[in-house]
Amino acid sequence: VYVKPFRYERADTLADAAEALRSHEGGARLIAGGQSLMPMMNLGLVEVDAVVDISRVAEPRGVTDDDGYLRIGALTRHRELERDPLVSTHQPLLASAARNVGSARVRNVGTLGGSLAHSDPAAELPLAMTTLGATYEVTNGGETRTVPVEDFHVTYFTTSLGEDDVLAAVRVPKLGPGWGWGFVEVSRRPGDFAIVAASALVRLAGGEIVESRVVLGGVSERPLRLGAVESSLTGARASDVPKRVPEIEGLEPMTDTSATGAHRKHLSRVLAIRALQDACARAEEAA
Amino acid sequence: VTSSATPVSVTLTVNGRSVTREAGGHLTLLRWLRDNADALDPKYACGEGICGACTVLVDGQPVSACIVLAAQVDGAEITTAAGLLDAHGRPNDLQESFHRHHAAQCGFCTPGMLMCAAAMLSEGTAGSREEIRKGLHGNLCRCTGYQHIVDAIEECAANEAAATR
Repeated sequence: VYVKPFRYERADTLADAAEALRSHEGGARLIAGGQSLMPMMNLGLVEVDAVVDISRVAEPRGVTDDDGYLRIGALTRHRELERDPLVSTHQPLLASAARNVGSARVRNVGTLGGSLAHSDPAAELPLAMTTLGATYEVTNGGETRTVPVEDFHVTYFTTSLGEDDVLAAVRVPKLGPGWGWGFVEVSRRPGDFAIVAASALVRLAGGEIVESRVVLGGVSERPLRLGAVESSLTGARASDVPKRVPEIEGLEPMTDTSATGAHRKHLSRVLAIRALQDACARAEEAA
Repeated sequence: VTSSATPVSVTLTVNGRSVTREAGGHLTLLRWLRDNADALDPKYACGEGICGACTVLVDGQPVSACIVLAAQVDGAEITTAAGLLDAHGRPNDLQESFHRHHAAQCGFCTPGMLMCAAAMLSEGTAGSREEIRKGLHGNLCRCTGYQHIVDAIEECAANEAAATR
């Protein structure tokens, strides 16, 4: 299949990109790495009048230290997240999530902003960002606003980005003292989309869980934070985790060619437990 | 809705040869290489970046040429399997190793396998069979069952390691 011809435009700044989106009145898409958009165009799932290439925009890319936070440019490639020393030191969960994205070829080209804006419910990076409680910087050229992660990912392949909005950067809090992290997924082969992925953060004090965040990917329309599980874990010791994690209620994951909904449901609890156990072990190691 | 593909001038260095063409800005790197630069070794198969048959090196890094626009990599150096040949046009050590180990059957996946293997060898990530298999997980072969491909890369990596010791 060949893609339907479209105009190619290159933006020099994100403000130019927003302006180009406005001038095409919904007929244009941004392309950065293109690792989600190009397959969809090759398969005939997306047709556009124009693509606006932001891959050569100088800012924002790379990771910078911003007090208690890391600020990560939307054009940062997955490969850079995997290898960035600031990420490895201050938020290794994110490096682990990036390592689970696609093949090496995808990670060489694909960008953080592209993955987040694509908002595939099984994708690793929206899951990691939800776990970390990230905030997203969104610009339309005129004004820049901050969007909390839970207001950004709306449903399957849908975000709260407006027609001329561009995701510019992401801020994630650094891993604090006493915290540990876990990121696990099951897929048919390494590099495939996760059948189910789970991601967790845990803070231990005196060997007991005092705070936790646990989120599932691949089982719902967007990353699913397990608030009830988090509350039931308060005061638990690491060894208690399996019996303190209840059946996850209200979960009706989809059946597709990779797994049945029932299998996904089973994996949800198993992987949540494993991610939490890994997080506890790392918190203990750090202590 | 009308769409017009405006021609975009793209210059790529393909296996050491500079090629400039005005062509539709919607052309993928793969189609550009095959239609404009006579580089027929990278293959179109899945169109989703999953199978690896279109793998080429862009400035030394493996990329799925079917899901990147040529215009996006304007100015880059592209290496395809043909670019691995030595200065006399003979197969290089990796290609020889594939030959020796019968690592190609129908041959469709081979150019992509070679490029991913070449990247692994230059990055030093072909240190064990497990590592090689991990590096090849994005390349599908429907004939050989991978054993001979892994054998070929393993031997080549071992020879390179021995030569630099």
